[in-house]
Amino acid sequence: MVSALIRIVSFAALAYLALPLVVLVGASLTTTSFLAFPPQGVTLAWYGKMLGDPSYVSAFLVSTLLAVAATIVAVLLAVPAAIAIARYRFTGRGLLAETLMSPLILPHVVLGAALLQYGSAIGLVRSFPALLVGHVVIIMPFVLRAVLPQLTDEQKSLEEASADLGARPLTTFFLVTLPQIRSGLVSGAIFAFIASWINVELSIFNTTAELTTIPVKLFNYVQYTIDPTIAAVSGLTIIVAAVVIVLLDLAIGLDVLSERRR
Amino acid sequence: MSRALRPVLLLCALPGAFFVAFFLAPMVVVLIASMTTPAGQPTFAHYVRILADAYHWDVLWVTFRIGALTTLVCILIGYPLAWYLVRIVQWRPWRRFCVILLVVPLFTSNIVRSFGWMVLLGRNGLVNDGLIGLGLIERPMRFLGTELGILIGLVYILLPFIVLAVGNALAKVDPALEHASADLGATPAATFRTIIFPLSLPGLMSGAVMVFMLAVSAYVTPALLSGGRITVFSMLIFQQYSSVFDFNYGGALSITMLVLTLALVAIAGRLSEPRRA
Repeated sequence: MVSALIRIVSFAALAYLALPLVVLVGASLTTTSFLAFPPQGVTLAWYGKMLGDPSYVSAFLVSTLLAVAATIVAVLLAVPAAIAIARYRFTGRGLLAETLMSPLILPHVVLGAALLQYGSAIGLVRSFPALLVGHVVIIMPFVLRAVLPQLTDEQKSLEEASADLGARPLTTFFLVTLPQIRSGLVSGAIFAFIASWINVELSIFNTTAELTTIPVKLFNYVQYTIDPTIAAVSGLTIIVAAVVIVLLDLAIGLDVLSERRR
Repeated sequence: MSRALRPVLLLCALPGAFFVAFFLAPMVVVLIASMTTPAGQPTFAHYVRILADAYHWDVLWVTFRIGALTTLVCILIGYPLAWYLVRIVQWRPWRRFCVILLVVPLFTSNIVRSFGWMVLLGRNGLVNDGLIGLGLIERPMRFLGTELGILIGLVYILLPFIVLAVGNALAKVDPALEHASADLGATPAATFRTIIFPLSLPGLMSGAVMVFMLAVSAYVTPALLSGGRITVFSMLIFQQYSSVFDFNYGGALSITMLVLTLALVAIAGRLSEPRRA
């Protein structure tokens, strides 16, 4: 009885999760000039129209460059910080960890507003670097959170052995530490990349008509007009997300819910 | 001691400096702006203006009500779904598919997901068509511009967080505990109540706190699904910074929101601390 109820709720929830994505991808294929679902006929014309529009192409480029750059900077900053937090005991260690993690719970609108206000005082507004620093701040916790649990104590003894055998700290890092944290680093970096790629709340304060990301461009557009081009842009981001996840699943396995301890 | 500290300083110098420059300093600037006049004189006028105005209280009430309802609905749907995925599904490819279905929305922008609901919830959208087709309603219902519409959109966006948090906790429950409980004569319901549920509670709480924080501070989803009819707190902040350009008052709004959400989360954390027998 209970189990039947759980199944019903679960199937409904899974349908609910799929619905908007299916509808958007479906509506992007319609031959009508307005959004229709189920689509009437099938055409890729709206995708062609989007790719023929330089402003969408440039927004895709900005989003991608921003997410790549922010992820690289975030990894370069988060890994040393994670090692310091996991390997050393020092005053302010807890405070450091909490500060670095706090962007996860801080409203992005507040942070975006703060960065705009602060940026206008130091001349860092509405530019790629202005977008970049904000994105690095909000995505660093994803890397940190994924790497920290992998810097275990057992591993510490391997690092000490490496040092005892005369390896320099950097050699130890690349030969001993890095291989151990690689899977955490990869999944953390992917989540960081995505968090940057889909962000609206933070970017919106520092974008302009020329320098804009895909989510912000969509946000500004959707408030005035709705047409199948928008569905095609959305559809493309959904397809990209689905492809990334399937690849991720094949590469590192996303089946996080089945590791029941025996 | 100083020798031991050198590597720490080396490792933390850059990340620390970056966070001071682009996280702490901006927040301090906002805090200071919220307590000064545009000319730089100290004042609490902005906070007085917020607290003395009934409109702000209304907006806060709507914001936190939507946040609380979103969290509640996410738990009511998310817990059974997590249970289903961890405990009921036997066929691995199906579970794999379900997990992918759960994660794909997380990898798509809030704006895309909310746009999907704008299309679905419109007057002639699929939801209204479906409800009319089933004979549940006679005329199209209004979803856009209502709290129900915002709720549907926010639950959609935040549901995966609860499912993943609870699912992770459920997956870690040692089956031996249940076997022992059953051997000692406990019914499945009693085992759930006294063993499994308490063990999943930390995951549930951390997921719920995450959902609540994100729901209360959400901007994109309410902005798109409210149709300009409902105002939540993040919209007030955005207005001040994007069109009114009153950074002092905007700063006070930001700090108010930050303090209120952190306070509520701290209370939730206190309440969920395991009770000692």
